[in-house]
Amino acid sequence: MQLIWNGLIVGSFYALVALGYSMVYGIIKLLNFAHGDIYMLGAFTGFATLSAFGISSESSIPLLLVIMLLSMVTTGLIGVGIERIAYRPLRRSPRLAVLITAIGVSFTLEYAVRQIFGPNPEAFPVRLESSGFDFAGMRITAAQIVLVIIAGVLMLVLAHVVERTRQGRAMRAIALDPQGAQLMGINVNRVIATVFFIGSALAGAAGVMAGAYYGSIDFLMGFMIGLKAFTAAVIGGIGNLYGAMLGGLLLGMLESFGSAWFGGEWRDVFSFAFLILFLTFKPTGLLGARVVERM
Amino acid sequence: MKTRTQRTRQILALAAATGVLLAAAGCSGGLGSDDGGGADQSGTIKLGMLAPFSGSESAFGEYMQNGAQLAIDEINADGGIDGRKLELQVEDDACDATAAVSAANKLVTEGVVASVGGYCSGATLPTLPIFDEAGIPMVIPAANSNELVKQGLPGVFLINGTGTQQAAAAVAYAEKSGMKSVAVIDDATAYSADLAASFVTQATEAGLSVSFEATVTPGENDYAAVATQLASEKPELVYWTGYYQEGGLIVRQATDAGYAGAFLVGDGSVDAKFAEIAGDGYTDNVLGTFTQTPDMIEGADAWIADYEKLAGAAPGPYSTQSYDAVRVIAQAIEDAGSTEFDEVVAALEGLKDFDTFAGPLTFTKDHTLSGGGFVIVGIDPASGAFILEDDLQD
Repeated sequence: MQLIWNGLIVGSFYALVALGYSMVYGIIKLLNFAHGDIYMLGAFTGFATLSAFGISSESSIPLLLVIMLLSMVTTGLIGVGIERIAYRPLRRSPRLAVLITAIGVSFTLEYAVRQIFGPNPEAFPVRLESSGFDFAGMRITAAQIVLVIIAGVLMLVLAHVVERTRQGRAMRAIALDPQGAQLMGINVNRVIATVFFIGSALAGAAGVMAGAYYGSIDFLMGFMIGLKAFTAAVIGGIGNLYGAMLGGLLLGMLESFGSAWFGGEWRDVFSFAFLILFLTFKPTGLLGARVVERM
Repeated sequence: MKTRTQRTRQILALAAATGVLLAAAGCSGGLGSDDGGGADQSGTIKLGMLAPFSGSESAFGEYMQNGAQLAIDEINADGGIDGRKLELQVEDDACDATAAVSAANKLVTEGVVASVGGYCSGATLPTLPIFDEAGIPMVIPAANSNELVKQGLPGVFLINGTGTQQAAAAVAYAEKSGMKSVAVIDDATAYSADLAASFVTQATEAGLSVSFEATVTPGENDYAAVATQLASEKPELVYWTGYYQEGGLIVRQATDAGYAGAFLVGDGSVDAKFAEIAGDGYTDNVLGTFTQTPDMIEGADAWIADYEKLAGAAPGPYSTQSYDAVRVIAQAIEDAGSTEFDEVVAALEGLKDFDTFAGPLTFTKDHTLSGGGFVIVGIDPASGAFILEDDLQD
């Protein structure tokens, strides 16, 4: 039971980051390798805001929510900026060119943050209350509950936006057929920018949550979670929102059980082996539909 | 398009050629001055020091330089060595192997007669053969990997304790506090795995039961797996041999998971950031094995005042070791009556109970310390800084 709960916690981080990955891929078929660094930027935006106001060591959930919203807006705007500067000019280029650009963006973000905040890990000034209690054979802390609730609410909001709003319908239309959507009078550029905003905001939120939960942030923290989120997106079926959520949670569980059985140092080996297995035997993922390639 | 490719090619060829020339120049510089330093028997005596002055470890370079300079000023004020003044030549190794090699070559061409530097083991290792070929003895103040002495180079002396000695301090503490079951967690880096292995060997020899060993991947944030294991195995003491970021997280997550025993951390984790990352109230049971810093040493007040007068700031880690490194080599040169490699090395080996901050110093046949000089530090709840808890002297 403890393993399942541990997996759920990590999984909710993966799921939030994987959503952005999956949305961007779904709409413009781009693997945004800079996405993990947006997560890192979220954590550092929160850190910078808190340090600027000199707030520290108070575990207050409302304060955390304010900081989170602020970071979400910031990372959202940065995401839009990145799309405008680095990806839009290359939209008609071969896919490899955009992929390489994404890696370049990733390094730019990482080392810009390293220049500003220094290479050493920083302690996040606000922590979530983490007194624990035992329930059904599991040790659960208040921080973990808050975390799961926030992640759940964010995912529900996103699902609502995509399923029920005009923007959401436009996104789905572009994902199906960009040219067709444009002919139907949809402003493609604006919708793509919106997708980048939402995806980056979610990653930013995950970054702040990770900062408050774990308490330590550093400029390379986005690298591994970026790869893990990609793995989660692939497991769930890349381009599919519910797939990203499912994939994230599933990957969290796999890692939790994997490291309990094989030992902590095998955790990454285990999860990336799953990536390879999925890409080999079921590249569409669990919930991904088989798409007929339009040439 | 074609011209551009051609130009790129030309530039690449030019760059490659320049690189080869530079490399050749570097080599000949190192070889040419083979006997430049050692043979000179008059004038000032130049001591070289490689230390990090840039990069993430840059703070330590300052401490080391000031500590060494303080010793040099004192010796010069006393009339130097046989009337010859000492001079310190510092170069930045940035804690980076490549930078360290070129800096070491520079020191060799400048004609230093001994090296009193070396902070990062990884950056110090590749400089050993350079100094060795040039006939320059090394008294290394900070770097302490066992690898440094494993090569068996005659001129290498360590005046900081090694991993084996640090592990011995950890075992001594566990025995002294009457703990029976211990666990060890490392982060798979060379330093950490080496320390963990030494600890397991020595703990087993001392009759402690090592209830479990785990390895974690550094840079991850979630150590729930190992935290859960600790909570169920309940060892009396956990020795963490990695760095402070993961250490802080593991202590916090293990405590949250219900582990209530004691933590001991290696010197890589001894940093005020440790308490910040672990968070308030999570560091009551945390101790560390560490080399003494000046503020932990009794009777060092006058020395600290001198240091502050010189540097305008409080002394930090490894300033005393650097101070002692200079005094050790100066004593050896004086005993040898010469700066010739063989004679200085023989004099270093012949030092007996030389008085240093870490206690009386006599080199073992491996050229390491006979006593480790490691102490147990605890965390001050108010500031989060590590303070002396137990000097393991009795």
